[in-house]
Amino acid sequence: MTFLVLVLSLLTVGLVMLFSASYAYAYYYFDNSFYFISRQLVFAVGGVAAMFAASFVDYHFFQRFALPLMGISILLLIVVLFLPAQSGVRRWINVMDIFNFQPSEIAKFAVIVLFSHMIATNHKRIKSFKYGILPFVVILGVVCGLLVLEPHLSGTILVLLLGAIVMLVGGVDIKWFLLAGAAALVLLGIAIMIPGVIPYAQSRLTSWLDPFADPLGQGFQTIQSLYAIGSGGLLGVGIGKSRQKYLYLPEVQNDFVFAIVGEELGFVGATLIIIMFALLVWRGFVIAARAKDRFGMLLAVGLTSQVGLQAFLNIAVVTNTIPNTGISLPFFSYGGTALLMLMGEMGVVLSISRHSAVVKE
Amino acid sequence: MTQAPSNKMRFRMFAVMLAITIGIGSVLVYQLFNIQFVKGEEYQRSAVEQQMRSLKIAPARGEIQDTNGKILAVSATVWNVIVDPVVVDKEVKNGQTEADIIAENLAPILEMDAAVIKEKCLTPNTRSVFLKKRIEKPQQEAINQFLTDHPSIRSVYMLEDTKRYYPYGSLASTVIGFVNDENVGGAGLESQYNKVLSGTPGMVVTAKTARENDMDTRYQQRYEPENGHSLVLTLDETIQHFLEKHIENAVNEHNIKNRAVGIVMDVNTGAILGMTTKPDFDPNNFKEISDPAAKERLVLAAVASGGTNTDAYREALSNEQNLQWRNKAVSDPYEPGSVFKVITAATALDTGSASLNNYYDCFGSITVKDREIGCWKLYGHGNQSFAQTLQHSCNPAFVQIGFSIGGATFYDYFDTFGFTQGTGIDLPGEAGSIYHPRERLSTNLVTLASCSFGQTFKVTPIQMITGISTAVNGGNLVTPYLVRQVVDENGSVVEAHEPVIRRQVISEQTSKTIAELMETVVSAPDGSGRNAYLAGYRVGGKTGTSQKLDQVLSEDGREEHVLSFVGVAPMDDPQIAVLVVLDSPELDDVLSSTIAVPVGKYILEDILSYIGVEPKYTAEEMKNLDLTTPNTIGLDLQKAKDTLAEMNLGVKVIGQGETVLKQVPTPSTQIPRDATILLYTDEDIAPNLVEVPNVFGLGTSVVNQMITNAGLNLSFTGGLGRENSVASRQTPEAGTMVEAGTVVTVELTALDTAGVY
Repeated sequence: MTFLVLVLSLLTVGLVMLFSASYAYAYYYFDNSFYFISRQLVFAVGGVAAMFAASFVDYHFFQRFALPLMGISILLLIVVLFLPAQSGVRRWINVMDIFNFQPSEIAKFAVIVLFSHMIATNHKRIKSFKYGILPFVVILGVVCGLLVLEPHLSGTILVLLLGAIVMLVGGVDIKWFLLAGAAALVLLGIAIMIPGVIPYAQSRLTSWLDPFADPLGQGFQTIQSLYAIGSGGLLGVGIGKSRQKYLYLPEVQNDFVFAIVGEELGFVGATLIIIMFALLVWRGFVIAARAKDRFGMLLAVGLTSQVGLQAFLNIAVVTNTIPNTGISLPFFSYGGTALLMLMGEMGVVLSISRHSAVVKE
Repeated sequence: MTQAPSNKMRFRMFAVMLAITIGIGSVLVYQLFNIQFVKGEEYQRSAVEQQMRSLKIAPARGEIQDTNGKILAVSATVWNVIVDPVVVDKEVKNGQTEADIIAENLAPILEMDAAVIKEKCLTPNTRSVFLKKRIEKPQQEAINQFLTDHPSIRSVYMLEDTKRYYPYGSLASTVIGFVNDENVGGAGLESQYNKVLSGTPGMVVTAKTARENDMDTRYQQRYEPENGHSLVLTLDETIQHFLEKHIENAVNEHNIKNRAVGIVMDVNTGAILGMTTKPDFDPNNFKEISDPAAKERLVLAAVASGGTNTDAYREALSNEQNLQWRNKAVSDPYEPGSVFKVITAATALDTGSASLNNYYDCFGSITVKDREIGCWKLYGHGNQSFAQTLQHSCNPAFVQIGFSIGGATFYDYFDTFGFTQGTGIDLPGEAGSIYHPRERLSTNLVTLASCSFGQTFKVTPIQMITGISTAVNGGNLVTPYLVRQVVDENGSVVEAHEPVIRRQVISEQTSKTIAELMETVVSAPDGSGRNAYLAGYRVGGKTGTSQKLDQVLSEDGREEHVLSFVGVAPMDDPQIAVLVVLDSPELDDVLSSTIAVPVGKYILEDILSYIGVEPKYTAEEMKNLDLTTPNTIGLDLQKAKDTLAEMNLGVKVIGQGETVLKQVPTPSTQIPRDATILLYTDEDIAPNLVEVPNVFGLGTSVVNQMITNAGLNLSFTGGLGRENSVASRQTPEAGTMVEAGTVVTVELTALDTAGVY
């Protein structure tokens, strides 16, 4: 119940803030202040419906389709590579100009479901390399390889992190994580050193360390974001009263919506939203802990982690805590299919909760 | 398959949850804290800087009015036309770019070359370029029409500005000053009262989007400008006009080389009724040189330096500009010469060092230590009363008077008369005086001697007239001032300037005596100021012809002189003082008594009748007073003769008729008491034209003879002591053909050399 309230609260606040953040941009580029919010509202309503629908579906349904789901998402990840690029990258599949959706969204869900399923079924052999590591690494390798080709760095990192969390909670030997962590650090170091391996890695890194070095270029978005948040102070300039949203801050309706939250609602409001996301993660994990089986538990952990990680990585980007990668803020950022997916996934968590409630308390 | 999660899984899950929520969450909150508090102010300032656009709204500058509310300076709204080259659309549409359209349409309105406008529209790296400054209403309307017709053009806009107009042109220009291109007072009252006049600019602060459009008006904040206050001066346009007319005439007539000063002051309040320095300038075009002589000098400078685009020429131009803007009345100290004797006399009488009963010998010179100080009268004035020393302006006598005062006391009075400090007049650039310290005056007799008759120190004209005012107004040192009131835009008085009496310097009795003495300078038969005599008015005065000791020789090797005269009237109740200072006439043998005094007289004459001082004629004056011709036209000849005989006028009949058909001078003409009237009784008689003879420089009897012989009537003006006077002006001019019987007015000037110093 708490989880549901949190989801709906975040969705409401997210919609309000999206409207506030986007209307100037929408007005100037689409001549319609309601351009983003009206579309988002439709998906939000659909999303709530999808959530309730999913909550009534027995989550074991997904267990049966874990493999086909993975097959479909890999297929889509391949298809997207052959579609025309948007903004220089091939991340979106455009469906008849009505909506865009990212196969990586489905891939994340597929990885969580499949990993949860694999661990739940092979729990006894999980310490072995053959069952505990190899299949996971292969799947992650394929999915991440395809994501890198898009290229989609943040998606890659998220899939890796989510896979790792499910594996970790599922009981995979800690040593592999230490090993993988060490290997990742080494690889990352090498990748950064060799130009071209990660696109613009070095310039992203410099503009992260000092955004003001190139204020009109690489650092521009970060600086505008900092200006917005910095203008907020303790209580913010008041809802609707952001000035940075007047075309100063690029992607204001998307990845950088939280900057406007910081400007309009101030430190108090922004912190409250962080706390709400933290509470959501906590409640999601409580549901996981109370799940009646391992699959349910791991599924809940994976899905909850996905929301939490995505939210926190987004906020980390907006506050220049980590380098700028394209990552959206759940419940807040504009994007219909993503919201629909998210709400559906929240429905799955609720379904897990529903099936455990009988057992506990 | 449906195994419950193990505890190990729960433990690991708990760790992951903690890592995400507390771990990452707290890092983010910490980062927020950093951005919003530690660096918040800095980010906010930068953000506001990029978001805000503030436009200044110029306040209306206050007016300057004369004492009767005549407007001497007023501001009108004009517009600056500005283009924002960044916003100019560079795309070619229908064969034209936006810059082409702007250039083509605005060129005829702004009277500018289209190519120049286009170039301005394409200026790189700037957001605002002035197309034209200060256009007026009709042009502004035309541009607005153009902008309405071309809604796509958003790069051209206009901002309000103000322009200063001076309806009376050069009138009082060195007093009023001007407003420079930045709307700041550049000289005179415009500069002194710049803050009061200019008000406080308003501002519109608009939040703008990154595309430079305004955000909605919620973000707009308007601070209304506070319009400037207006000044009501003590200056009277009419008096100023009289003053300037006569000073200007003197400058032209005598080729005054270093400009001339005229001041009219209310002796009791210190209110300045008129103040001028000639030549001056037109504040509507303050950069333009007005003085023809200065223009000539500039032409020479241009030739010498090889054109007008040289540093040397620019410097010369700047010097000439500064010179014509300079208010000599307050900024240039001069040696007051004999005018200062009034102060010496007042000091002597007030301290009791001398009385009206004292007598002083003059043998043509006096020796002080090793220095011989001469009198202008080579053989001396002999034995003179105190009053006569002033009338004669006798230097040796004043040396003796100065010695009787003593150097220390002389200095103390010099000080209390206000000559050691500026007067505090509300004008910029008031110069201080240059004077000897008390110690020097008390020990050095030569210094004291020369100071007694106004040499070897310098005061400004405004200090001098203030000192004279003190001497005649009952002894009060007043602060001269020009601004009577500061009023707001609705006419309510914001600030009223009351007359300021700084201190009593001499006793009322001394002051009264000085006034009487000054009157005798004008009224005594051998008074040095007798050319200031005005029938019907009680005028007092003092002349001064000072050597410029610091600049002994002019370019052609002659001594330069400053001629001055101070006049006060009416002497039974002194009200106004007039100071005329002519710095270096071209001829060096001219004297104050013959040049500066008449100027002072003309000014006083005009002013006294203007301010309504009733003339009171003595019996002697009545005898000389002009009559008005009666109308005899249409009368029977005998009746006409009787009428004229009754008035003691001469009659000359021309023709055989019995009825007067025409009379010369015509009815209601001012004529002298001994005039002859010509009566014409026949029709068809051709007018009897005669030539007006030239009487300039001739004595009165010769003039009388020539004019009468020519068949004309003669009227003298000016001065007592006609025996020593010569004709200095005449109307109509010599050579003019006029009808017989016309009145020729001849002005007399005392010729003798009174008042050398």
